[in-house]
Amino acid sequence: MRFRIYRYNPERHSKPVLQDYDLRIDSTDRMLLDALVRLKEQDDSLSFRRSCREGVCGSDAMNINGRNGLACVTPLKGLSEPVTLAPLPGFPVIRDLVVDMTQFFAHYRSIRPYLVNDEPLPDRERLQSPEERARLDGLYECILCACCSGFCPSYWWNPDKFIGPAGLLQAQRFIADSRDRATAERLQFLDDVYRLYRCRTIMNCTEVCPKGLSPARAIEKIKIAQLRRS
Amino acid sequence: MSLFSGQRAFVVQRVTALALLAYVAASALRLAFGPPLSFAHWQTWSTQPFGATALLVLAVALFLHAWVGIRDVVLDYVHPATLRLAVLGAAAAGLVALAVWTLVILTAHAISHLSL
Repeated sequence: MRFRIYRYNPERHSKPVLQDYDLRIDSTDRMLLDALVRLKEQDDSLSFRRSCREGVCGSDAMNINGRNGLACVTPLKGLSEPVTLAPLPGFPVIRDLVVDMTQFFAHYRSIRPYLVNDEPLPDRERLQSPEERARLDGLYECILCACCSGFCPSYWWNPDKFIGPAGLLQAQRFIADSRDRATAERLQFLDDVYRLYRCRTIMNCTEVCPKGLSPARAIEKIKIAQLRRS
Repeated sequence: MSLFSGQRAFVVQRVTALALLAYVAASALRLAFGPPLSFAHWQTWSTQPFGATALLVLAVALFLHAWVGIRDVVLDYVHPATLRLAVLGAAAAGLVALAVWTLVILTAHAISHLSL
């Protein structure tokens, strides 16, 4: 199987290059990550992130044939050759397929990704009805792989100011949580020309989410919540 | 709502879009199903209170919608502060000039119609 992989080592390359590889695929190689691990055996200078190898940790997000996805859950079968692999678009490249996620996680921190509730603690736990719990479905499953933000033109244009689809989906996860008491502050924080309203409803985020989530829908719900509050 | 509220522009863009859509739909229906429209007919309509008001609302909606759209494009693509300020200033000046011109045309027609 033929691969064309983005290579960039700032210590050795003045600019990125695309390097071609040929790999004999074994019958046990099912996913793209299997092939990448074997390519690394051939060329140990090839750098990429990976951890859980089952679509839970989100480490191996990359651009696969022009579309963001997780290497560990992308079947080799069906990929057109040469399989072109590049780092997540719009993110600073540290080396090869490894990108700098510092800003991405700074945006995540900015939305206060935790429950804010100063009311006295109950004896056991803060209970939710099944309906209240169901409101978190489609939100809590996000693994912060950044496939969505890395495929969002608005995020490419203003990565320092626009929170991006991943951060906004997480924001909605806490806005929708019946146990949280900071909804007004959260909505006020997001009512900003850049943080939320750079979203142009392009919906690439929903298109590429490897977990099948819809950040675009979450963003819409935040805007509706803001309208209801104002 | 803060000074840098994103919601204000978001709401303005959608409300003005609805106004423009209503005007386009009404115009299309009038052209499709009404009697043929001459320039004199159109001019008379634009000087009557209903016509003048409808055109004024259309103009306000159009210029506000255009401003939000231009501002969005500039915020997305034009990053150097000085250049951004210059482009936004030029766009605002152009839109204000067009708005004043529209107002002059509408009021001039109305005044000439009343004096007749």
